[in-house]
Parts: sequence; structure tokens; C-alpha cells
Amino acid sequence: MHTNDDNELNKPNDVHQEVDEVTQIKYFGGDHEYDGIKELDNPLPPWLKYLFYVTIVVSFSYLTLLFVFEDDDIVQRKEYRKEIMAARAKTEVAVKEESAKAAAAPLSQEQILAAGKVIYDKTCLVCHGKFGEGLVGPNFTDEYWIHGGRPEDLLKVINDGVIEKGMISYKSQLNPTQINHVIAYILSLQGTNPPNPKAPQGEKFVKN
Amino acid sequence: MELQKFSYDNRMTRNFAIATMVWGVVGLVAGLLIAFQIFIPSMNFGLEFTTFGRTRPVHTNAVIFAFVGNAIFTAVYYSLQRLLKTRIYSDLLSKIHFWGWQSIIVAAAVTLLAGFTTGKEYAELEWPIDIAITVVWVVFGWNMFGTILQRRTSHIYVSIWFYIATWVTVAVLHIFNSLAVPVSFLKSYTLYAGVQDALVQWWYGHNAVAFFLTTPFLGMMYYFVPKVSGRPVYSYKLSIVHFWSLIFLYIWAGPHHLLYSSLPDWLQALGTTFSVMLIAPSWGGMINGLLTLRGAWDKVRKEPVLKMFVVGVTAYGMSTFEGPLLSFKSVNAISHFTDWTIGHVHIGALGWNGLLTFGMIYWLIPRLYNTTLYSTKLANVHFWIATLGIVFYAVPLYIGGITQALMWKQFTPDGFLMYPNFLETVSQLIPMYAIRAFGGTLYVIGMLILIYNIVKTIQAGSFVAEEAAQAPALESESESKTQSESWHRFLERKPIRFLIFATIAILIGGIVEVIPTYLIKSNIPTITSVKPYTPLELQGRDIYVKEGCYNCHSQMVRPFRSETERYGEYSKSGEFIYDHPFQFGSKRTGPDLAREGVKTGKIYKPNSWHYNHFIDPQKMNEASIMPKYPWLAKKEIDIKSTPGKIRAMKLLGVPYPDNYELKAIDDLKAQADSIAKDLAAAGIQTDSNREIIALIAYMQRLGVDISNKPEKK
Repeated sequence: MHTNDDNELNKPNDVHQEVDEVTQIKYFGGDHEYDGIKELDNPLPPWLKYLFYVTIVVSFSYLTLLFVFEDDDIVQRKEYRKEIMAARAKTEVAVKEESAKAAAAPLSQEQILAAGKVIYDKTCLVCHGKFGEGLVGPNFTDEYWIHGGRPEDLLKVINDGVIEKGMISYKSQLNPTQINHVIAYILSLQGTNPPNPKAPQGEKFVKN
Repeated sequence: MELQKFSYDNRMTRNFAIATMVWGVVGLVAGLLIAFQIFIPSMNFGLEFTTFGRTRPVHTNAVIFAFVGNAIFTAVYYSLQRLLKTRIYSDLLSKIHFWGWQSIIVAAAVTLLAGFTTGKEYAELEWPIDIAITVVWVVFGWNMFGTILQRRTSHIYVSIWFYIATWVTVAVLHIFNSLAVPVSFLKSYTLYAGVQDALVQWWYGHNAVAFFLTTPFLGMMYYFVPKVSGRPVYSYKLSIVHFWSLIFLYIWAGPHHLLYSSLPDWLQALGTTFSVMLIAPSWGGMINGLLTLRGAWDKVRKEPVLKMFVVGVTAYGMSTFEGPLLSFKSVNAISHFTDWTIGHVHIGALGWNGLLTFGMIYWLIPRLYNTTLYSTKLANVHFWIATLGIVFYAVPLYIGGITQALMWKQFTPDGFLMYPNFLETVSQLIPMYAIRAFGGTLYVIGMLILIYNIVKTIQAGSFVAEEAAQAPALESESESKTQSESWHRFLERKPIRFLIFATIAILIGGIVEVIPTYLIKSNIPTITSVKPYTPLELQGRDIYVKEGCYNCHSQMVRPFRSETERYGEYSKSGEFIYDHPFQFGSKRTGPDLAREGVKTGKIYKPNSWHYNHFIDPQKMNEASIMPKYPWLAKKEIDIKSTPGKIRAMKLLGVPYPDNYELKAIDDLKAQADSIAKDLAAAGIQTDSNREIIALIAYMQRLGVDISNKPEKK
């Protein structure tokens, strides 16, 4: 695959070609000298030339895959759908396994609270404060609740959100077990006296 | 043949070299500052002028246009005269060029810190400065071509091919990317919107790398490497092939900055493939540089200048291999928006641009001052400390970037994000940021060693302002190609024809990519529920741009499960049609904001949260690295500017109702009052005319329109 270009350029355009003493390669042309800089008459390194050809072939194949075949792995709309379908299939199996496992070995109360704290620190702390003292969101440590203080009240708020107040739904970010754990943790904060508590909001909740 | 006597002007070379060093220190120190700011929020000093969103553009602009720019001009003014055996065309043009460029840099630094920015990366400067750049660039070209046309050599050397390609391409890129409608003396809206703006911007941005950081430095390499080593250039044929293939292919590669974005697939594919085809042409340059040193490796061992050249050219080879790699969609899915990209560009900037520039200065200054370098030993120390600095800089960013991307994408087996809290993935990176800052410190120390060494050298020498030279006059040559001449050899003695060919080569890619994006409607499908911003939101958006939020936050949800789970529906091109400029961003130091306002979304926050968070992010989350923005609650919205802004937007085709500019202020006040009232209900007392109110309004609008589909409900 010797190109014509090379032959074309190879044509000596001057009679007295000299030779570089160190490499024994001919200089290119006699008048090829610029401010003392000469140029050698080396061909392109073959591997570089073939690398160039390969990248061109690969590139045009790729473009053909897109333009002609609209390949599923290049058209990103299709790629995305594929990824979502694959994930859905995978998680369905995993969820079943998980619940079977959980049923087989229930967690102790301490483990539940510890797991709840991890979720709280990741998800709830930003608005409700490091210790549940309240920040933008309400205080969890006092006896006052805006939407009720029963576990099922908390579940409803976490699942559905209170969007007008800025509390989003966490249904898509936490699984049911995690939600139960974090509820247990939040309720365990009752009566702790953290620094900088937010003033009570809502109604006093009396356990019956 | 009669020898003509003349002299080379060394003053401009000297001036540009000194400017290179001065701005080098400024640019690197600014870089070091932001390297610390990124993991120590208190380093932002609570002042708007010293906060990351404003200091980062100062760093990038100072390094690219001040440090590297002046280095380019140093090399051109020195080598051009000698390669063409003639004096520079006009001393007056040289002076205008030099002082014009330095004034632009000063104006850039002042305006960027003061918050005047177009919000387009590496093209942040506002329109009056853009015009000044154009004028000075034309003066530079005039001076260069004047010199070329009065040459005493028949042919132009490969360095000059690269200078010519640089000049014309930078002119084209700068002018087309900077087209804008002025609103006031230092505020304008770019002509392009959304995805089209993104395409033009990255056509510019990528080729600023290609034609400002690469081609002029290849020209520099082709002059200084053979000069310093005393060796002939390895292959003339390789020069030809890699020059033309490089400039033709490079211009197509811009869309690789927008992989997995709302950019149409066909453009993304062109970005990927043309980047892949660039490997061999780029490596052609590296090989021609390195193999020129064949037979001179013993000199490399002793001469720090050559060592810098070798590592610099090798860094070029590394980053031009990494570039195509990052353009593969599968790699880009991980690397994009992370610190990997920052590591990648610094291999090029610190290695290729930095070391080549340092080598040139160490060699050049003693020649301009007719003396020898004060200390070769110190230059060696500089070489090692800079090389080590690069390693300490880049490696932690590679590790950090990959780590963070994997955390973003990690799911639990039951299908939830493993790290739903973005901040968790940031906290992981703090040690990496600290090591990077250490690497940066080493590199800055190296720069200071250079300054000391050069000052000492200058003190010992005496400046040769006019360097005597002689050469025979140029004999008249055949107008057409002679029989024994190859076509390229012929082209080399016809510089204007050369310029025209180079211009054609660099225009093709841009034309093929940009024009159809405007003319073919299917490229950006319309979404009817997408409406123009309200006046308050528009003001808020301008504050977002002014504070440089795009330096750390993206507005582009990519079509991955990990992103739609975290942020919500992936971004569509039709959502951005009123965004002048686009604000996709290029780095997520903080989370994506494209769906920030979606009430039923994954990341919605109430107004009160935003208020508190802007004023003190650490109050909302101790580990946050976001700077505080307390002045937003004090400064008042520039309400008077509203009608003018609406008019400018209308001129750009944003469909506000007729005479809306008359009503805009009332609408703005009403919306601001309702936000202030909502804040008051949450216990926050504030006037409704504060900047923070406008910014909150903008936050709550982000990504909302697409979910408003009244006709379907």
C-alpha cells in the first residue's frame, strides 16, 4: 500500500543532495535550509501511516453504523431505553431476593437505628439538621408535628412529600425497608436536646 | 550574488518574553489559588471578587491568552525574522501588537473579577474587549504577512506554515464565537442559543486548544528543537502530511465536548470519529520533534532546555492520545464532568505549553543579552521540580475523577442510587484536591526559579536590540510550478496561496457541522411548553452567569439511568432554545441543576433552602465546599436594565409579546414580591429587590417547562 504521494515528494528537486553524518540519511533538497535548520528525507514511519489508515477505516465504519444502520449502541435515545430495560429486569429479581433475605434474618432494634442514621445523614440532614434540630425543615426532637407524629404519618410524608413546603417524595430514592429504618431513627430523636433547636411547629402530638 | 546587510529587531522578542514570564507568574498563582479554593471554602474570602466562579476564568484566561499567548508571539517575532532572513515588517505594528495585547489582558483580568462575563468558557470577555482582540489580531497578521512578503528566502519553513494556520483559524473562531447583541457597555447576549450556542462554543473551545495551544507551539517546536540540538528535522514529508491532516481534521472534533448531551447524534459521532482520526496527525508532530533529536541524545542529557523539550513533546503525545480516548462515548460516559478532564488539559498545559515555553526562554534570553545562562544547575532543578509537579498534579485528578464517576453511577442491587447525596461523592475527593494543590505548588516554585535565573542572566548581559545579519536578495522566480518542483514545494514559495489553502482546510469542518444545525429543524425539535424566561428569571440568569456558577454546576442531564435517577428526565435540545448563552457547563464540582426547579422532581428545594444555602452553604451541610454568597442578599437587582434586556432578547428571536419591555418591570416586581412573601412565611425577612430573589426565581424555573404539558392533561 505504497502511496503515490510519497513517490511524488521523493523526486529530487536538486542535484547535490548531502547526507547527514550521524544517521546517514539524505537531506531533502539542496536549498532546504532555514536559519541553519535542515530537513531529512525520511519517509513517514510505516506504523504511523498504517495507524492513520486504520483510524480512518474505523471512523467511517462507525459513521456508517450510525447513519445507515442507526445502531442501538450509538443512537443515544435507544441506548438509554436499553439501559433502563436491563436495569428493571435486574432489580426485580434482586428485590425479591432481598425481601426473602430480610424475612429470614430480622434486624435488631440497634441495627435498625444504625441503618436509619446512615440514611438520615445522607438524605434528611440537609434540611432537618445534623441532630434533627431542624433547619429549613421542622425540628424532630420536640413533641410538635405538622403532619402528625405516628410512624404512618411520617411514612406518608416521606412517600408523597409536602411539595409546597419543599419536602420532596423519597419513594424513588429509598426502598420501603430503608424508609422504615429512617422513620425508626427519626422517632428515636424525640426528647434529645440538640444545640440550636428550631422553634416548635405544628401541633403537640400525644401518644395514645 | 550580492549580500544585503540588515538587522533583526530583538526588542519585541524581548518584550514578549518578559510579558510571558510576568503573566506566567500571575496565571499560575491564580491557578494555585483556585486549587486551594476548591477544597477550602474559606479561601474564597467571602468577597465576590475573590470567589471561585470569578477567579477560575481569570486563571484560564491568564494562562491561555496571557502566558501562552505572549510565548507564541515571542517565538514568532524571533523565528519569523530569522527564517525569512528579513527584519520584522513594521516596528509601529509590533508596538501596537505588544501594547494592545497587554492592555487586553489587564482589561480582561479587571472585568472578569468584577463579574463582566459572557458565560462562555475561554471566551468570557465582553464585547468591547472582543473587538479589541480582533483589531490586535489583525495587526499581528498584517505584521506577519508583511514580513513574509518581504522575505529573502524563496520558501517558507514548516514553522511558518503553522503560524499562518494559527493566525487565520484563531481569527475565524474568535469572530464567529463572539458574535453577540450588546445590552450595555459591558453586557451582551450571544447570538446563538442553547444547543447551537454549545456547538459553536465548543467548535471554538476545542479549536482554541488546537490553534492557540497546539499549532503555534508546533511551529515553535519546529524552530527551537533543531536550533537548540543542532540536528536536522527528522522528516520533511512527515511535516507536510501531518500539517495538512492536522489542521483539516482538528476543526471537526469540537462536538466531542458534548457527548451524551442534547446535541444530535450525528454531530456527536463526527466529534468522536474525527478525534480518533487525529491520533496519527498529532503523533506525526511528536515523532518529528522527538526523532529530530536522533544523534543528539548525549546533548539532551546535559542540556536542561532539551530535557524540557523532550518532556514537553512527550506530554503532547500523551495528551493527544488521551484526547481521542476521552472522545469514545464509553470513556466519556465516565470522564465527562469530572476532574479527569482537568487532569487531561493540564498534561497539555503544564507539560507541552509550559515546558516548551520555559525551554525557549532559557535558550533565548542569553542570546538576546549576549551572555550565557546564569545557572544551568538551577534550570535543571526547575526541570525536575516542574516534571514532578505535573505528576503530582495530574495523577490525583485521574484517580479522583474516575472514583467520583463510579460513585455517581453505582446502584444498589434493588435499584437505588448507592450515593444519592451528591456531596458524598465530593467529600471523597478532598485528599486528591490537596495533593493536586501540592503538585501545583511545585510547578509555581519552578516558575519562580526561572524568574530568578533569568533576572540574574539579564543583569549579567547587555541587550542586543538590533542584531546584524546579512543575506542575498531574493532572486525572481518562476510564477508557475516548475517541472522539477513538487506541488507542495511550489506552494511553499507562494504564501498567500498557502494562506488560502489553509483557510479552506479549516473552514470545511465548521461549515458542515454548524450550518445544518441551523437550517434543518429536526436537529432541535420544538417543545411547545418551553416558554421564555420571566424578567425576574432573566435577571437571575444573568446573576448566575455573572457569578460564574457554570464553572462548577452543569445544566445537562445526560441520558443515563444514573443521571435520570439522580436528577430527573434527561435534557432535550428543545428546552434550551431561549438560553443566550447556553449554560451546560463542563465540570460538576457541584450537582447538575438542569432539573433544579421541578417540584415533583428528585432534587427540588424550597425557596428558603436556597436563600440559606446561598448565604452560607456550610450551614446547610458542613461538608459542602461551595463558597458563601452573602452579597447576593445585599446587592439590589439592576431593575432599570430590564427593558433593554428584553429588547435584546426579542432581537435575538425570543418571542416576548409586543411591547413587553414596557410591562417587564411590573412583572418582575410582582414575581419578586411573591418570592419575598414565601420567604417571609418561612421566617426569612428580606427586601424583594435583592439579587438573591432573582437567582432563586431562576433556580425554581430550571427544567420546569418540559413537565408543563397542559394539552395532555
